[in-house]
Amino acid sequence: MIVRFVAVVVAALALAGPAAACAHPRTSLTYLEGQVMCPTCHTTLDQSNSAAAQQIERFISQRIAQCATTQQIESELVANYGPAILAAPPRKGFDLLAWWLPIAGVLAGAVVLAFGVWRWSRRREPEQEEPADSGLDEETERRLDDLLARFD
Amino acid sequence: MTGRLKLTAQVLALACVAGLLGLLVWKVTHQEHAPRVGAVAPGFTLRRLEGSGMVSLASYRGRPVVLNFWASWCNPCKSEAAVLERDWTRYRGRGVVFLGVDYHDLAPDARTFVRHHALTFPMLEDGSGRVTGSYGISQVPETYILSRQGRVVAHLAGPITDPGFAADFRSALARAAA
Repeated sequence: MIVRFVAVVVAALALAGPAAACAHPRTSLTYLEGQVMCPTCHTTLDQSNSAAAQQIERFISQRIAQCATTQQIESELVANYGPAILAAPPRKGFDLLAWWLPIAGVLAGAVVLAFGVWRWSRRREPEQEEPADSGLDEETERRLDDLLARFD
Repeated sequence: MTGRLKLTAQVLALACVAGLLGLLVWKVTHQEHAPRVGAVAPGFTLRRLEGSGMVSLASYRGRPVVLNFWASWCNPCKSEAAVLERDWTRYRGRGVVFLGVDYHDLAPDARTFVRHHALTFPMLEDGSGRVTGSYGISQVPETYILSRQGRVVAHLAGPITDPGFAADFRSALARAAA
């Protein structure tokens, strides 16, 4: 009984050890492979099998095992390879344009489209509500209607 | 009012198209090409791979330079490392400078490579590939041999151990050192 208890405690400690080694949730190689570029083939690491990409994957795996965070790993790679190593541009300085320009473009397009639709609907509505004036008085119109009715 | 709005929209659309066209032209005209034989080699200043400080190509003006681009993940670079080291020890007495430019590489791996192959000529870091790009390098190893005036004497796109390149390397080195 005591032996079994000790075995369970040892197993629990062995399993809890690696999980408790990091003070934060570990990042994953799969995630970072989609965030980091292969410098020689200009695709993300998950799309590349080149020697340079494999070297970076090994580095990322080592750093994950050492409990490095995503930000730490990314900043170390940027320090070594420059900002182009990241698949997404940094969210600061001039690079912010890459994030905001597409949104501004979509918004501008939506505004132009909305304005066009509004103008188109304004032009159409009066035509439906008010038929064009024939310029004839009521009596002449009535007589004209009578005459046209004979041909029906 | 409507006419003015329409005109403004048309001008804006034309400006967008002109801007995109300008970007395309800029990209095409600023593409990096390998410097041709006889042309002045692009200048650069890079950090030393081992130790501290920067090294400028201009500081070697007046001496022939062998500029070897390599990376620790590159297999052919391993095979030519010993030949480069042997030629460096042979020609350094004649004033020839050998410079290694480590390209798109992790610095610790590159240092291990240098120690493993016992390379003693100056090694420079080009992690971002900026300088390597200015030489039109698409794969490593590649070697440029520069004259005392900083002009390209030869460009060998491949390991200098290749049968086709070995003789070219020697003769270009002899010409540059003459």
